[in-house]
Amino acid sequence: MSYCVNCGVELDDSAKACPLCNTPVLNPNEMLKANAIAPFPKEKAPVEEIRRTDLGWLVSTVALATAVTCGMLNWLVFRQNLWSLAVIGACVLIWVILFPLVIYHKWTPYIYLLLDGATLLLYLYLIARMVEKYEWYDGLGIPIVLWTLAVLELLTFAGRRLPKGILAGGLYFFTALAMLCVGIEVIIDDYLEGPISLGWSAVVLTVCVIIDIAIITMLSRRRLRDAVRRRLHF
Amino acid sequence: MVERKEWYKLDLSAIVYPTLQRRDFSSVYRLSVLLKEEIQPELLQKALDRTMPRFPTYKVAIRRGLFWRYMEPNDRPGPFVKPDIGNPCQPMSFRGQNRYLVRVYYYHNRISFEAHHSLGDGTGGMCLLMTLTAEYLRLLGHEEIKNGGFVLDVNEKPDPEELEDAYMRYAKSKICPPRPGEKTYRVRGTKEPFYTLNIIDGIMPTSEVVKVSKKYQASITEYLNAVLLYALLQKQAEDRHFSLRPVRIAMPVNLRRFFPSKTLRNFITMVYPGVDPRLGEYTFEEIVTQVHHYMRYYVNDKFLRADITTNARTQSHPLIRIVPLFIKDLVVRSFYAKVQDRNSSAGLTNMGAMAVDESMKPYIERFDICMGQPFSSRTNCAVISFQDTLTINFASSIVEADVERYFFRKLVKDGIHVKIESNREEPDYHLNKLLREE
Repeated sequence: MSYCVNCGVELDDSAKACPLCNTPVLNPNEMLKANAIAPFPKEKAPVEEIRRTDLGWLVSTVALATAVTCGMLNWLVFRQNLWSLAVIGACVLIWVILFPLVIYHKWTPYIYLLLDGATLLLYLYLIARMVEKYEWYDGLGIPIVLWTLAVLELLTFAGRRLPKGILAGGLYFFTALAMLCVGIEVIIDDYLEGPISLGWSAVVLTVCVIIDIAIITMLSRRRLRDAVRRRLHF
Repeated sequence: MVERKEWYKLDLSAIVYPTLQRRDFSSVYRLSVLLKEEIQPELLQKALDRTMPRFPTYKVAIRRGLFWRYMEPNDRPGPFVKPDIGNPCQPMSFRGQNRYLVRVYYYHNRISFEAHHSLGDGTGGMCLLMTLTAEYLRLLGHEEIKNGGFVLDVNEKPDPEELEDAYMRYAKSKICPPRPGEKTYRVRGTKEPFYTLNIIDGIMPTSEVVKVSKKYQASITEYLNAVLLYALLQKQAEDRHFSLRPVRIAMPVNLRRFFPSKTLRNFITMVYPGVDPRLGEYTFEEIVTQVHHYMRYYVNDKFLRADITTNARTQSHPLIRIVPLFIKDLVVRSFYAKVQDRNSSAGLTNMGAMAVDESMKPYIERFDICMGQPFSSRTNCAVISFQDTLTINFASSIVEADVERYFFRKLVKDGIHVKIESNREEPDYHLNKLLREE
């Protein structure tokens, strides 16, 4: 039987410190109470995951119904061109994007992003086939999708593996934004066969660099970081 | 014979709880009984299977309608007894664990019962737990255990009055007083990860608390309320805020004391005793006096009836009734977060002295009650007593235990012998965590 020297309350035999003030229990007469039963079990249970199968079914049925009815309409009524392919492709795209949210979320997000990118590329190819013009697809579509995909994968990696926090999150986001804009402008310049030079993306880049420098300063100066946390806590 | 109902409307209080449901929050409370022997899980499961059909409003699933949620009988297998866990009162999804909204745990000599608040209040839950315990003890061979009080006869058909929404029967006041809506002091702290619920139990002799309360010329509830207010005032003073706020406690009152009903569903309303430090510094004696007079003034059938009428009128307003559920959810949730939750600095509930039949007393050591996870980062306090053991339970989801410390230190100062039990992790864990964050 021990008492907290600080609070004056009796403590449980299994307690190593007072739960109220964290003062350690040091009772020289009763050092060997390791077998005392703790008042609460140590094991924590994870919160039960709920499978959202109903929503998954709803999304799948609606997407499938839209695709089938548009296909039928195109086949039987409005036969001018293959317009229904655009709708069907969009349905597939939406379904693939929603797949990890409502149906299956056991894989890592990197795979889902790859799947989304691949579907988007296929969809753009479908549109290119429909209009029978491929230059924009080769020159703009593929590079922009691949570049966005690469930036998103990097952002996901940073969010999951690198240090976390509001400030760090901001740093990753603005860096990714700058990379994305610069990349897109380079790709557009290359497609238009003009000289590769930074225009509008230079403005985004400058703003992002300024924000990044501010964030890095805040992160590296502990006092500053604490002050920001204190003032921004909610 | 009572025909089995196909569905039940949610009662007046129960409507609010499901709207507050988040991935990391459910209004779940826990009642525990500590016996004198180790629990045998197989027998407990058997007892539970015998007990549940007697409580049709607890053997239900909650479903969404277009305008309101409702409860429908749940015939899926379960609920199943499980070994206890270190993070009790976990969020309870309406679709998890075969849609049951009750859980039963065992740990050494303790049986714990958790229920979603939309099924019923502490009194209803206690009836289920006590009936379960009586049935378990009978299975152990203690045939002499009698029914009565909280223990219901499992072979009897449920009385229709047990399933009623008693609010509607008594909400007949001629005027509706406005709801209080002043911003109060809020305890701030470092949030724990959402699956952690910090519990601190203070166990003390009832006789000592009665003696001290008498010294202050107050009841136990009034005295403990005053101690909690005192602790919160100290915490606010230590926080060094620019402007002080009133400190108020949300305290549920069991309406069955004033309006006879056998209902096992919710039948409580809130009163808010408090003090305003902006008026000047309160001594502890002054806080006790303030709480004492507040309770004597407000806790009577007239005021309480008017209070439930206000709520009932809102619910039965035709315009409110035809609004689709998701809009109601949005409005109720934001009202709760902006007004109701800020209206009090902490919660305190007192189940009072547990009335247990003489035949059952020898097998019970004590009771424990936990109000569950608070909606915002504050502390919830729950009190229950059995014979000469009074248990005060604090549940919070923040790292700091300042309010609890001030509270129990005041009790110790007043000469009460307090024993503390907790599920909090050792301090070096917190230190390591802080170092890791650096």
